[in-house]
Order: sequence, then C-alpha cells, then structure tokens
Amino acid sequence: MARYGMVLDYKNCINCKACEVACKEENGILMGADKHRIWVGVGEIEGQYPLLDLTSNVFHPSQCQQCDDAPCEDVCPTKATYTDDNGIVRVDVEKCILCTYCITACPYDARYIDDRTMTVDKCNFCTETRLARGETTTACQNTCPTKVRIFGDLDDPNSEISEVLRTREHYSLKAHLGTNPKLFYLT
Amino acid sequence: MKIGFINIPFKEDFSIKSLFSFEKTATNMLIAVVTLALLAAFVVGIAMFFTHGHHAYNVTREHPWGLLLAVYIFFVVSSTGLCIIGSLGDVFGFKDYMMISKRAIFGSIVTILAGFAVILFEIGHPVTMVIYNVLSPGLTSAIWWMGTLYGLYLTFMIIEFYFLINNDMRKAKIFGLTGLLIGLAAHSNLGGVFGFLNTRQISNGVFYPTYFILTAFITGVFLAFIVMGFRYKLNFPANAKKMLEGLAKIQGLLISILIFFVTWKMLTDIYGGMPSRAEVAVHILSSLTFQAEVLLAMVLPLIVVLTTMGKKPVLMFWASMIGMVGIFFMRYNLVHDTQLKPLMMLKKTEYQLAPTWIDYFPSSAEMLISAGGLGLCILMYYVGTKMFNLDEEAHH
Repeated sequence: MARYGMVLDYKNCINCKACEVACKEENGILMGADKHRIWVGVGEIEGQYPLLDLTSNVFHPSQCQQCDDAPCEDVCPTKATYTDDNGIVRVDVEKCILCTYCITACPYDARYIDDRTMTVDKCNFCTETRLARGETTTACQNTCPTKVRIFGDLDDPNSEISEVLRTREHYSLKAHLGTNPKLFYLT
Repeated sequence: MKIGFINIPFKEDFSIKSLFSFEKTATNMLIAVVTLALLAAFVVGIAMFFTHGHHAYNVTREHPWGLLLAVYIFFVVSSTGLCIIGSLGDVFGFKDYMMISKRAIFGSIVTILAGFAVILFEIGHPVTMVIYNVLSPGLTSAIWWMGTLYGLYLTFMIIEFYFLINNDMRKAKIFGLTGLLIGLAAHSNLGGVFGFLNTRQISNGVFYPTYFILTAFITGVFLAFIVMGFRYKLNFPANAKKMLEGLAKIQGLLISILIFFVTWKMLTDIYGGMPSRAEVAVHILSSLTFQAEVLLAMVLPLIVVLTTMGKKPVLMFWASMIGMVGIFFMRYNLVHDTQLKPLMMLKKTEYQLAPTWIDYFPSSAEMLISAGGLGLCILMYYVGTKMFNLDEEAHH
C-alpha cells in the first residue's frame, strides 16, 4: 500500500484555475462557487501606489490537506470519514448523516455539502476516478501548466515527491494543530 | 391502566375530551392560542424543509451550524437542568424539594423530546444516524457520545418517572441517580462537541464541558419557578414558597459563579491578544446577543435574588421568564460565536468568504421549526398534567 501526499510549488501558480476546472470535470463536482474540492486563494496587493507590496500578491492553491491525524475523522460519529489503505482521507456516503461536525472541525475549510447525495464531500486525490483507472496523477496535477503540484507515494524513497521533500525546504499549513498534513508547500 | 406488569396510574378523569376542558381564563386562552400558533409554525417549517431540504436554512459552508442546533442545545440543557432539580428531592432526599420531583422529571422528558424533534430536521440523515450509530460507532466523536448518552438518559428518565408516579421511591432513586449521572455525562459531552474543536480557539478547551453543567443547573432553577408559577397561578402555598426561597438563594450563588466563570473566560481570551481568540472575544463583547445574554440571564435575575433574598417568588417567576430568554441567547451565542472567525484559507476574492466575520441570520424555516419545538414542549407538558398527577402525594 502507498501513502499518498502532494507537494505544491505554489509560487509557480499563475491562478489560471485549470486545476479547479479539471477537478470539477474529472470528479463530477457540481457547478457553483461554494461547491469545490480545491481552490486557489488570492492575496490582494496591499499598499498604495507607488508603494505597493508585491509580496502580498500571492496565489495559494489549497484543498483537503489529507492529514495523518485528521480532526474531521476523529469527530465523525459514524466513521463515515475514514483513512483508506493508501492514507487518503475519504468519505463513505452511505454512513454520512450530515451532522456537519467535520465541516466545523476541519481547520482548512476543505469540506462542503454535495447537493446530490446530501453528504459532505472533499478531495480524495481522485481515488474513485483516476487512481481507480490505474493512473498515477490527479486531475489537478495533470492539468497544471506550470507544474505546481507533485503527487506521489511518500513511503517510496525513489518517488519524485520524496526526492523533492528531501531537497527543497517546505512547510505545512497550520502545523501547530498537530494534524500532520500530507500536503507540503515549497518555500 | 395496567398493561401486563406495567401499571400506569392515569388520572381518573383523563380522557381525550378532558384535554379540551380547562378554565377559560384570559391567560389560559392566550396560552392555548399561542401554543396552537407555535404548532402551526412547526408544520409550516417542516413543510418548507420537505420542499427545499437544507436549502430552506441559512446555514452555509462557513457557518454549517445554525439556529436549530442552538435550539436543540436550549432544550437538552433545559432537560438536564430539570433532571438536576427533580433529583434534589427523590435522589438526594431533600424533603422540601420532593414536591417538584415528578413535575421536573416529566419536564425533563418533554424538553428532551422537543429537542430531538428539532434536531431531527437539522441532521441530514436521521435514519442513517440510528443505524450507523450502532453499526459503526465513532468512539472518538463527542457527538456520538452525546447522542448515545442522551438516548440512554431519556430511557432512564422515563423509567424514573414511571416509578415516581407509582410511588416506588426506592427504584425511582436508583434509576434517577443513574439517569442523572448519564445525563451529566451526556451534557458535558455536548460541551465537548465545542471544546474539542482545536481549530476554533474561542471554544476549544475545558470551559464548555464544565460550564454546560453549571448553566444546566441555572436553567433548571429558572424552569422550576416557571412550572411552579403556572401550577399555582402565582399564588404559592407555604411549602412551595419555602422550596422556591431555597431555590432562589441557590440561583443567586449559581449565577454569581457563572458571572465569575464568564468574566475569566473573556479575560483569558482577550489577554495577550492572540489573533483568532482575542479578536473574536472582543467582537463577541460588542454583540447585542451577548449583551442580551448577560443582561437577561445573569444581571437581572441576580438583582432580583439579591434584593428579595428569594422571599418574593412571584418576582422570581418573572425574572425566570426573562432569564430563559437570556438562556436562549446564551445557546445561540455559543453556536454562532464558535463559527464567527473565518478559517483564513486565503479564499479572499475567489469565493464568498471575506476575511472579516461570518454572518448568519436564521431563515424563516429555521425560526418556524424552532418555535414549533417550544409549541411541542408546551403541548406535551400540558397533556402530561392532564394524564398524570404531577404533585407530591400526601403519604411521601
């Protein structure tokens, strides 16, 4: 079994939103701004011309951080949220009671309600689509024109993601909460 | 009425017809009309829910918990509070409080049923919940413990009430004590639902699981004044006055402790200026609903207790009515304030999440269902007063 994770070289992001479109298309996510598994956050340029703070203008792709110690999994009363054999945090729609505790507990605002099943949905690294077909990339990674994302097996020392994590400085979001995310942002 | 070995001592004059016979005073007629209006609101609210599903509610991705959860908490806190009050007499043996035991335990049953009726329309898949609560229990989830323990608690409360109305005080005491302990465990787990939220710093920690027990006791005392006030039409006999004087003094102590707790919670939240805690606390301090909570549930009732020393139960009755409005705001604030702060995932301009405060105002469906919960509660309590003798019987 693998232990999947993702590296984001977010400074390469040009906010083209191809990843968001690819995710919706591949995984059949409903249209609408609040129905999204992944998103690109935008830091507005701060300051007054000509003293503009260009460093504040950042594009920050984000999604479920696939935590090793996922708060959403801990709080689920029916174990509808679970970590599968590949370390991917997933939702069993049969068991979800829509109490929305996971939405409240997720530090990354990564969950939303799928209006078709009326259950909580989130990124699952294309497990039910691309990975199920035997592919080794996620839709968002595959479509990215500037190669922001690297997806792979963290337990495989020879994988590209392991190589990058050994050689590039990186950080995780809200690491102080002890969630141990498997998404890593390169500095 | 006997069914096998179960003996249910209904009142002799109880019948369906007796439900419609009551003294036609202006107050009674007003209560009847208001209750019917609240029940009608429930029906309309449910119709809106079945027509539009969860879209009938103003809950969002950023604010997934709304008024219905607050009202559920309001009812279950009331239930735990009434259970504590009921236990004073039949479990702990305080003779003066025996006169309210049956009424309070019955009240604890109807309030939790009203709470369940409201939360039924908040949980997306209640049937799935019943099935997978058993087949796939999430033992690390405070919601699982809270729900399961409340289910058990209700069972024990019904059994305790059964023995109370059959004057089997020994068994009532055993089931009452067990039910009380389970109820307190359930209730602190409800506080834990908020206390376990590491990412919501304003709620995270030990405060809510303990504060819930304290506020349940306070709510129970408010409700004790209200049910006794209606029972005796504010013309209290000597034994009721004696009991209510004791309860008023206890209430003074409890509210003082609550004010102490809340003051220190606010001070520790603000001290040091931690961004996602201090600024939220300051924002809460400036909100009208928090001010209403403090004024109605704490300051006004405490002034009444301190100025009358519990010797004016009629005044305490009105202070308790106002206090329950404050308790409602207390529950609403708990739910809303937990979700006030956006999680700051840089969704600044792409989506609707502005990095200020999350707004929420209940939809009409949420308000109608919530009002209906109150209507159900009043209706069930009224039917109970017609079915059972809820007064203390002479030979106790």
